[in-house]
Amino acid sequence: MALLDVENLSIGYHTQKGYLHAVGGVSFSLEEGKSLGFVGESGCGKTTLGMALMRLLPPNGVIRDGRILLDGVDLLQKSDEEMREIRWQKIAMIFQAAMNALNPVHRVHEQIAEALLTHNASLDKREAYEQVEALFQLVGIPKDRMQDYPHQYSGGMKQRAIIAMALACKPSLIIADEPTTALDVIVQDQILKEIINLQKEFGISMIFISHDIAIVADVCHDIGIMYAGNLVELGSREAVFNNPMHPYTKALLSSYPTLTGEKSRLMPIPGETPNLIHPPSGCRFCDRCPAAKATCKTGEAVWVKISPDHKALCYQCGAVCRNE
Amino acid sequence: MKTDIETPRKAHLKKFPWMDRLRRGWAIYKQNLLGKIGLSLLVMFALMALCSFIPPLIDKMYQPMTGVDPEITRSTGPSFRHWLGTDFMGRDILSQLLAGARVAFLVGVSAAFMSIVMGTAIGMVAGYMGRFVDTVLMRLADMIMVMPTMLVVLMIAALFGQLTIWTIVLIIALFRWPGVSRVIRAQTLSLKHRPFIEAARVAGASHLRIIFRHIMPNVLPLSFLYMTFRVTSAIIIEAALAFLGFGDPSTVSWGMMLQWVWKTGHMFKAPYWLLPPGICISLITLAFYMLGRAMDEVLDPRLRKEAGSD
Amino acid sequence: MELWKYIGRRLIQIAIIFFVIITVLFLLFRLAPGDPVSRMVDPDMTPEDAEHLISQLGLDKPLGMQYLYYLKNFFTGNFGESFHYGQPVIDIIGSRLPNTILLFTSAIILAALVGIFLGKIASWHKGETTDTVMTIGALVTHTVFLPWLGLILIWVFAYKMNWFPITGMLSEEVWLDPDAGFFTKVLDVLHHMILPLTTLFLIHFGSYLLLMRSSMLETLKEDYILTGRAKGLPEKIIRNHHAAPNAALPVVTSVGLSLAFSINGGALTETVFTWPGIGRELVMSVSQNDYPLAQACFLLIAIVVLISNLVVDTLYAYLDPRIRY
Repeated sequence: MALLDVENLSIGYHTQKGYLHAVGGVSFSLEEGKSLGFVGESGCGKTTLGMALMRLLPPNGVIRDGRILLDGVDLLQKSDEEMREIRWQKIAMIFQAAMNALNPVHRVHEQIAEALLTHNASLDKREAYEQVEALFQLVGIPKDRMQDYPHQYSGGMKQRAIIAMALACKPSLIIADEPTTALDVIVQDQILKEIINLQKEFGISMIFISHDIAIVADVCHDIGIMYAGNLVELGSREAVFNNPMHPYTKALLSSYPTLTGEKSRLMPIPGETPNLIHPPSGCRFCDRCPAAKATCKTGEAVWVKISPDHKALCYQCGAVCRNE
Repeated sequence: MKTDIETPRKAHLKKFPWMDRLRRGWAIYKQNLLGKIGLSLLVMFALMALCSFIPPLIDKMYQPMTGVDPEITRSTGPSFRHWLGTDFMGRDILSQLLAGARVAFLVGVSAAFMSIVMGTAIGMVAGYMGRFVDTVLMRLADMIMVMPTMLVVLMIAALFGQLTIWTIVLIIALFRWPGVSRVIRAQTLSLKHRPFIEAARVAGASHLRIIFRHIMPNVLPLSFLYMTFRVTSAIIIEAALAFLGFGDPSTVSWGMMLQWVWKTGHMFKAPYWLLPPGICISLITLAFYMLGRAMDEVLDPRLRKEAGSD
Repeated sequence: MELWKYIGRRLIQIAIIFFVIITVLFLLFRLAPGDPVSRMVDPDMTPEDAEHLISQLGLDKPLGMQYLYYLKNFFTGNFGESFHYGQPVIDIIGSRLPNTILLFTSAIILAALVGIFLGKIASWHKGETTDTVMTIGALVTHTVFLPWLGLILIWVFAYKMNWFPITGMLSEEVWLDPDAGFFTKVLDVLHHMILPLTTLFLIHFGSYLLLMRSSMLETLKEDYILTGRAKGLPEKIIRNHHAAPNAALPVVTSVGLSLAFSINGGALTETVFTWPGIGRELVMSVSQNDYPLAQACFLLIAIVVLISNLVVDTLYAYLDPRIRY
């Protein structure tokens, strides 16, 4: 049984302008010790998905449909009290360093110890601080910086502290939401390597959210491509990278410059993302798709299995795949 | 003459989106409950001020300051002749109240106007000139903001004798311009580097011309709206001064009425005299406060009631 | 260490501002219509005493020298003699200052604490009855005209109900009684203090409440609040331990910014309640043309405002680690 099984998850927001269909019918599984990356442009719903897994949506967010099975237990059936216990102990989150994820008026080590003390009533402060020290060592922050305030940390240090905090209660699943965005490339590289090492060492499953497909391909075993609230392609990184099926995935990969390989033109994707308050019927990528046909706007989306570990959601894909 | 090339002069006229903003602002404003209540209260006071001219016309005895009822020479309660009663000299309290409304608007509006003029000029110069001039002016503003206005007026009254209402208003304005100048300075700083200012500079306009011809029209409407509803403090300071006995003795203001009721020992005996002026001062303060909050929501979109993000 | 450097810098700023105030006052006294000498020297004095005082204050010297004399007198605490009381001014203001500090600081501190506490609660119950009641209450009390509020309180609670004395800070019977203990005297002062304290408190706490309320609502949108929820912290801890300390900071700033307004209010309160403080002394000395006393009161109030500003700024620096480190 997989650690995490998401079935047909639909999430939306109640806004002043109407109900926004942020995520529609997403399903995937994650095995223990594996990592899955979600890639997509801003507004595609990947962050919403991440938040929903921990049931951390803002007050106007609703999970309309679906199940989130963690170790076989549906999180959507849990009460608030039960969720609070699950949070951080079973699932933890790594936030962006650029965010104000740490409270500016409290010292960093206190905030990490807080996570430990909240979930372990028998722990006393001294022991908690000792564990924090160990965590700091793990992520590579010097011991003498433990008692500093967040604003005294550099971006990279803050990210390490956030990682340390996420590891504190030894969760089985970590959701990393754009953990390296807003860091300079060198630090980015260090942090990514750090994350990969920790993940391997502790066997933690990870969901990695990013807009940068290159990073995700570097870190994750599997990749899921999201567009306009839908999961459009899902597969192992080799499969998706080497054999992209969905037109959007193809466009995404070709809009990237590469250092090696043949020289090819960078192709930006024309058009804009659709309005999710009134989502178009049929395939949402239709208007920007180079291979669009009239049939794309009607009919049900169908998952096309390209290989055992690779599938794509495309109205046409089936035909294209079978033709190839 | 090439008409397709926009000269810098024409360019700055295009930066008058405030008419459009005004229209949109009004639509938002109408939805705000506080704003509506505030506005209604203010309208009521404005009517009072306008009506203040009526009573003396009906009968000389209704003159707020000098009117004396031949039959009444002491403080009496509400009656048919005097709807709110009379003060210790037999003068009609209602006419005093109406006259007080007039004075309140006068004081509030003039003080606000003067402080806007001063604050805008200083703020623009400080923001535009920058560096030394800016530092000096803003330090000056800081120093002035620290001083308790009412007490300063007291000291000046001590030295220069009884002050007229206009002197009081001027001094109040002299102590309120720092608030205005801060806002204007911030606006000026953001406008300073816009292309149309650069264009004007390149075209050879002098600093003065740039400030008053180009920056001012863009900065003024917003500041006017923003500041007009900070009028309350001027009204309160005048009322407090009059209450303490330092107001203009020839003006009947609500504060003055309170001074009379207090100093003549009628505090406990004449609620019809004690209550109306205090209620009026408090309500007009409340009205302007509500209006100010509603204006804030109009001007700063972030404060509006929002639902949902993504 | 940083904190001390910060305080040091601010003290220098205060000194500069104060110098400017003294100088302006000096010039005003000389520029005002009328004979400046009559401002310093009691017209009822004997000519010999007057001569002596004039030479002591340097009023017969040129303007530059006068200024130096003025400064020297200020720093030696020689403010001359009050026309009205016939005593050295320094003695009078010395006895009035503690009364003002007692009333003023307790009112402002109480208003800040209650305002912050209730504002926090109002934000929790946003939109509900509790919130509406508190917001309206804050709005109403904040906009009421202070002296009038004082008069109403006196009328209702002192005159009608007889719960509190109408004027003053002390009851003569208590303080002149040789058997009255310290505790009794303290209670007496407190008894007299309740109404003026309530007046000052009511006028101020409303604005702090409203500010804290909106500050909390803003703070609850911050990222670290999300972190707290993600960590599985109970809502109460998030609000009290994470949100409130951050939300309270702008309120502290606001206390500092509105100090000038508060001092005005303090003076008015003292006058209405006949509380023997510096504010009331200033008002009375101005109406009695007691120039030496008026001048000294004004300068002392200026010092009080500046020092209060410093205290609030220091408090803020202490509470916000981003400033301290």
